[in-house]
Amino acid sequence: MADNASSSSGCTGNLVDNSINQDELIMKQQREIEKEISESIPLVGELEELLSLEKEYNEDPVYLLKVKDLTSKYKYVRRTRPDGNCFFRAFSYAYLEHLLTDKKEYDKFYEIAKNSKEILVALGFSQFTVEDFYETFMEVVQRVGEQAGGSPDSLESIRTELHDKFNKQGYSDYIVVYLRLITSGQLQTEQEFYQNFIEGSRTVTEFCRQEVEPMYKESDHIHIIALSNALNVGVRVKYMDRGEGSQVMAHDFPEGSSPLVHLLYRPGHYDILYA
Amino acid sequence: MSEMGEKYNTKCPGVKRLMREALELVEATEEYCARPLEDNLFEWHFTVQGPKGTEFEGGIYHGRILLPKEYPMHPPHIILLTPNGRFEVNKKICLSISGHHPETWQPSWSIRTALLALIAFMPTPAEGTIGSLEYTPAERKLLAKKSVNWVCPQCGEIASLLSSTAAKPITEEEQSVLNQIAFKAEEEQSPKSVPPEEPIVEVEPQVLESSEPTNTFLDQLMEILIALLVGVIGIFIYRRWNINQVSETEL
Repeated sequence: MADNASSSSGCTGNLVDNSINQDELIMKQQREIEKEISESIPLVGELEELLSLEKEYNEDPVYLLKVKDLTSKYKYVRRTRPDGNCFFRAFSYAYLEHLLTDKKEYDKFYEIAKNSKEILVALGFSQFTVEDFYETFMEVVQRVGEQAGGSPDSLESIRTELHDKFNKQGYSDYIVVYLRLITSGQLQTEQEFYQNFIEGSRTVTEFCRQEVEPMYKESDHIHIIALSNALNVGVRVKYMDRGEGSQVMAHDFPEGSSPLVHLLYRPGHYDILYA
Repeated sequence: MSEMGEKYNTKCPGVKRLMREALELVEATEEYCARPLEDNLFEWHFTVQGPKGTEFEGGIYHGRILLPKEYPMHPPHIILLTPNGRFEVNKKICLSISGHHPETWQPSWSIRTALLALIAFMPTPAEGTIGSLEYTPAERKLLAKKSVNWVCPQCGEIASLLSSTAAKPITEEEQSVLNQIAFKAEEEQSPKSVPPEEPIVEVEPQVLESSEPTNTFLDQLMEILIALLVGVIGIFIYRRWNINQVSETEL
């Protein structure tokens, strides 16, 4: 799942040109294969030792060095399903998990989340569909709030509940949709700023319709910048790729923030990191 | 709706969402109406009025909406039942942003979006898109006239389904979305028939496959003919040889 694999498929669908139809068929088949593989992976997995990554890169010295570098700062990893929604799912899971132990941050987030619906409706999103996603989203947020800062025992049970909810397609996808809407709302509210990040001739609104709001569309820097700004939450992404050197580069969104969510990026995919 | 509540798990977001939409669309309007089948929340029937100022004006078109179990994450399918000259009837069509794949469907769109988009999309040129028809304006007008008498086996006379109340006005945001939505039938070919690089190679086996029964018949006929011919030639040679022999002995 390359980062732009799905978005670059915007071919001229209305023309009945043989070659295009063939391309479409081949891509459709590829999408089906990817879907099959991806559906065998849980939406959000269990906590795993970071060293488990080494197994994936048995004969790959570049990656092995980088896993080693990563283990100096992190101990565990939690995988997410590579279905194009991984950034949003990983982010929301990791953030809500953090809020369980940070009541102050929860109160701050709750205010932002509560006001988010009005912003979206004001932007012209259909009230009743936004409400639909908002309600499910807030239901999960409030469950976290009820237990935030509680005893270790009660935290354990809410953690299990959160994990179950994130692995129920219905709930999990509703959370993803709502975060996509918040991201789109932020991009559209600050159009002038974000226009600079968009390549080509697309407007911010077009970009949102094609790359942000639809499910399964992969996230790029611009999505992360917009969401972290909208919620005022610091996100650190560790980039692990074939790049030179033995170190895994980190990038904080928004720049200079102190991160509460740590994600591991490997080309096309995000997982959650734990210290 | 209360019956539906008993039958489906209302905790399931997709079910909750469809119940909400049913409530939202409970009143029929002048432009469109839609409601779930009595025994199936995931199949709806809809009726739309042909857009004014087009060759569909005065027409009333009825159809089915099939909602995937992943709705609203995946788009609904629309099947038109009333002949209209723009879309094939009894064929699944699906909405997406023009020039993109169905995965550009947005969960924040709804059945209302789909119906408004369908109405807006009817007068656009078919351009050979799968599931589209390119009837002449005259033919479409004739179908529009006939359509008012069309009867759905489940919903009855479709002309009586719409009301005289105007629908909720289309918002600016909605309008800009509607301008971008296109409808297209699903690709029907199975993945197996994904053609190899050269299209010619792909055509040949299809032709062979499709004409297989006649082929074997022709083959048999040919075999019989060849056998006959060989026989006849054999007889000729035999006779020739015999004659020669006879004439030789005569000499």
